[in-house]
Amino acid sequence: MKPLMGVNCSPVECTSLSSSAPIWQDVLAQAMTGELLAVMNYTSLSEICDDPEEAADALEHAQIERGHAAAFAAEGRKIGVDVPNNVDARHWKRLREAFLRCIPERDLIGCLIVQEIMLESFAVASYARVGKVAPGSLGKTFARIAAEEEDHVDHAMSILRTERALDAPRFDDKLYRLHLDVMTNLAKMLAKECKDGHCEVCHANCVKPSLFDVSLSAAELRGASLQQYLKTLDMLGIPGEATLAWVTQLPV
Amino acid sequence: MGDSVASVAGRGRTTDVDFALIGHPESWRAAADVLAVLRGPERTPLPDDEIKDLLPWIPSRVVCHVEVGSIVGAKARGLYIDSFIPPDRLEAAYVHENIARVRGAAVCATRAGAKIVSLGGFSSILIEGNFEQLPDRHDTVFTTGNTLTVAFIVQGLHKMCALDGRNLQRSTLLVVGATGDVGSGCARCLAPIVKRLLLSARNVERLRRLAAELQTQGVQVEIASDLQRFSAEADVVICAASLASPSLLLGRIAPHALVCDAGYPKNLSPRTELFGAKVFFGGLGQITGGLKFAPDFHGILNRHPFPDVVHGCLLEGMALALEGRFEPFSQGRGSITQARVEEMETIAARHGIYLAPLYNADGPVEDELHCHAEGSRG
Repeated sequence: MKPLMGVNCSPVECTSLSSSAPIWQDVLAQAMTGELLAVMNYTSLSEICDDPEEAADALEHAQIERGHAAAFAAEGRKIGVDVPNNVDARHWKRLREAFLRCIPERDLIGCLIVQEIMLESFAVASYARVGKVAPGSLGKTFARIAAEEEDHVDHAMSILRTERALDAPRFDDKLYRLHLDVMTNLAKMLAKECKDGHCEVCHANCVKPSLFDVSLSAAELRGASLQQYLKTLDMLGIPGEATLAWVTQLPV
Repeated sequence: MGDSVASVAGRGRTTDVDFALIGHPESWRAAADVLAVLRGPERTPLPDDEIKDLLPWIPSRVVCHVEVGSIVGAKARGLYIDSFIPPDRLEAAYVHENIARVRGAAVCATRAGAKIVSLGGFSSILIEGNFEQLPDRHDTVFTTGNTLTVAFIVQGLHKMCALDGRNLQRSTLLVVGATGDVGSGCARCLAPIVKRLLLSARNVERLRRLAAELQTQGVQVEIASDLQRFSAEADVVICAASLASPSLLLGRIAPHALVCDAGYPKNLSPRTELFGAKVFFGGLGQITGGLKFAPDFHGILNRHPFPDVVHGCLLEGMALALEGRFEPFSQGRGSITQARVEEMETIAARHGIYLAPLYNADGPVEDELHCHAEGSRG
């Protein structure tokens, strides 16, 4: 499958990024898919909020994530590529299913753990890394969105800390169960090589081996994401020796 | 091992710990073994390349709980906190990154409520001159642990000389890394004993200051920043700094010299270049009142050929905790004196913490020396 080249490309950016455009196209596609998944997750979350203000917050978050997806699409156009997305791709679909398992029980805390602690740790860390190396407005957009996602996490953290203070063992047990479900899938997605076949988001072959060409690596994105996850769990007050074991037990 | 938070929390609240030990993996093998324990026996160990990719991203954190016993019945509870400095990033280029890691580990110790924190291995080298870089300490005190390290280096040297039938008073001692806290402490303790003292370090000004201090006590001292100038003249050597290039020393070492590898990580091997020299690892002590890890990291965090052997720098915090003396016994650089070393030796011995049996990269050395000495006599 060839890269889908768009027509609204600025001549300057098209020329300067022409060789790496297919790589950025896949990086953008993964990011855009993640944002669209977040839109769906926040929309689902809004439906189980009893408090109208919380429901409005969730919908506002969904709207912000939609804006991020649009920003990534726009960056694609600037470098002359269309940015595909696929929320039904194997890993993303499993992550969505894990989130949806919290919905029938109206488990607001479970939803926040999956979206804010797990998925956003990955988003914040990987966008920040991409933001450091991607050229021009592409890098700036990734860096800006990383910062915005971090703000989301801060907001959720206060809710989660309050919840944990009420019953820490129960909270920690829920967190661990969700970790096994969500982070196992996320770890497979972040593995240095896609061992289970094509991820169904990259436009052609797996982008991971090509990331070196744009000063990135799959190992770096995974490492930064897991580091962010561990730090977020630290901020929640989960014992570091427990979370260290959790992370080292993930598939590679 | 138990994975859930409950199983970890069941080991005891982290808020009532007496001491914390800050360390880092001394080799990739050591790091791999720690991660293998954490992964559990039911999972295949991580491949080496994955370990090298993952380890640098792990933030400083508690790895296990430690309980140490005294021969007089006291017990102290503590934590082992790993700063996860990658074994290939110990050099100067990573100093800021590594200080940040040690600082992160110090924050973990402070948050856990540790009353005293020992800075193990490279951590103390990074922090000994930069204590202001540690976080706000509240009720937590920090010690580099260097005083007990010096005590065990000096004790080890005396023991090796006795086993080898040498008279230290007739020896020419070379201290490599002499201006560091451990090197200068060794120089102060041994200067009154040896016949001639050679001091080597990179910083000439600091060397001059140390030499001047020792000369006021009537000691014959010579200094050089060029290690090769002295290495052939000494018959006893203390390497208080881990040598980036051991061949600088070993290439010209006097035959039959006694070499104490007191650096961290220890990288002087008797198999390479040291023709005829006798190498032993210095600065290590042994706990005789009991040592427990949870999860069980015996032989993994303390990788020595004898049980319950631990680096002196970490033992200092444990000895002080057993003594109930929560004070920053060793801080700064260049303040270790003979009197302080003797005080720390006394505290450690009171709780059954003694010099560890001597060994090197090839294994125990005492039996071999003993046989050699017996053979010479016979």
